[in-house]
Amino acid sequence: MSADNARPSRESVLDAFAVESEHGRATLQRYLELYPEYAGELVDLSRELNRAKVIDLEPLSTAEQALVEAAWSKHKAAVSTKTAAALTVLTADEWRAVAQELDVPRQVVTALREKRIALSSIPRRFLGRLADATRSSIDQLEAFWSTGQFAGARSYKADGKPSIGDQITFEQALIDAGVPAEKRAPLLAEED
Amino acid sequence: MSSAPESLEIAQEPEAPASSAAAVTPLRKRSLDGVPYERAPEIEALIADLVVLPRDELIARAEIKKRSDPGYVPSECLLYFVRASRADNNERWFERLYRILAERILRSLPRAENPDGKTEALTRGVVRDKVFARFTELLAADRAGYIDKLDFFEIRFDNALANLRRDAQTQAWRDENRSKPLEYDEESGELSPEVEAAAGVHDPFAASEFDDPAYRSRLDAAIEALPTEQSRIIEMLRQGFPIDSKEPGFMTIVKALGRSEKTVRTYRDKAFATLRTAMTEGDE
Repeated sequence: MSADNARPSRESVLDAFAVESEHGRATLQRYLELYPEYAGELVDLSRELNRAKVIDLEPLSTAEQALVEAAWSKHKAAVSTKTAAALTVLTADEWRAVAQELDVPRQVVTALREKRIALSSIPRRFLGRLADATRSSIDQLEAFWSTGQFAGARSYKADGKPSIGDQITFEQALIDAGVPAEKRAPLLAEED
Repeated sequence: MSSAPESLEIAQEPEAPASSAAAVTPLRKRSLDGVPYERAPEIEALIADLVVLPRDELIARAEIKKRSDPGYVPSECLLYFVRASRADNNERWFERLYRILAERILRSLPRAENPDGKTEALTRGVVRDKVFARFTELLAADRAGYIDKLDFFEIRFDNALANLRRDAQTQAWRDENRSKPLEYDEESGELSPEVEAAAGVHDPFAASEFDDPAYRSRLDAAIEALPTEQSRIIEMLRQGFPIDSKEPGFMTIVKALGRSEKTVRTYRDKAFATLRTAMTEGDE
């Protein structure tokens, strides 16, 4: 990556030293001789590499859980703008594959895609499967539902059907699509 | 940079199972000599084994915390899957792996509490937070575009993490302008004359308890709390480097750190005295 004659950067020397297979005197000596300009940091790293390994099996503290939580939220926020859009750009073929994977009629998937089904009526378990099938997360599905209600939906309204606002329930969508009762039950189950 | 990545021939591993023929994405980082880095063969082989597992099973394996457990998935492998799911784009799967990995980072960084369980080292807490933030930033950036620095974590995870820790520590020391004596000195106030007298001869690495993990952990903490220059001298002594040498071309502490022999000796004595105090305090 760098020009052959260029002196390697501090970072690349330290990175290389870190992943050496052993960190005894000989390795440190070699690096000190080759890169005397980074001697202090190499010695610091040698100390760090040779310290006793921390093996902590205790449950995480609340503060630590909060750190993980915050990191994940940040991560999710950073990618969700990208992937929430991905959900809306799934092709017709991909939606067909989603229907197959979930083993529901395409009509149900179309209703889901057009957000004609109330999110609150969809069991978490099915939502999880939908997230998997659409390569997204439950959070993203929720975000997807909360934005642009009915965007791109057909001019269709289910008058007189059990509905939440302008949306129908998941169960009703299954019934409308002709899914028999014995097949509906597992789809509506909250647990496996 | 545009050169084609070398394909890794896992099949060359004699014990590698047939399934390992599945391509494990090669690393992109190159060594200082320009040679592409490779994962350890056992890591490559394990990835190939794990990649065929149902996801739930892999998650269950990843959740094993004990390194001695035969089902334990090393962090090198775990990171491979986290990075690989970048392309997969399955958020749900990714979230579970991500959380396991993030937890592991926290678990392998020394906590702010001192090994005595009573006091806290603020710097250590700051360092821990910085390392965690840095690692998670790298992961986030790696999702959008390949961050080759993460390759080091797939080569030797603990070592790459140690390097992040060193970096964070340097920053923390700079932030707190460390030239002052820390923690133990502050706590103990002036060193007693006996300790001063013993300092020159006390070698904490020669202690009979040196192989005791609790002793090591306390010693590590005490060395870390030393002023930078002193901790460097201690590390070089520990590695067996001489303070000075008449022979030209021989690597010595004086030469590496660019200090006079007298300064090195004075610092060493101060460091030994501080360490001795730190190590005996906990015994009471």
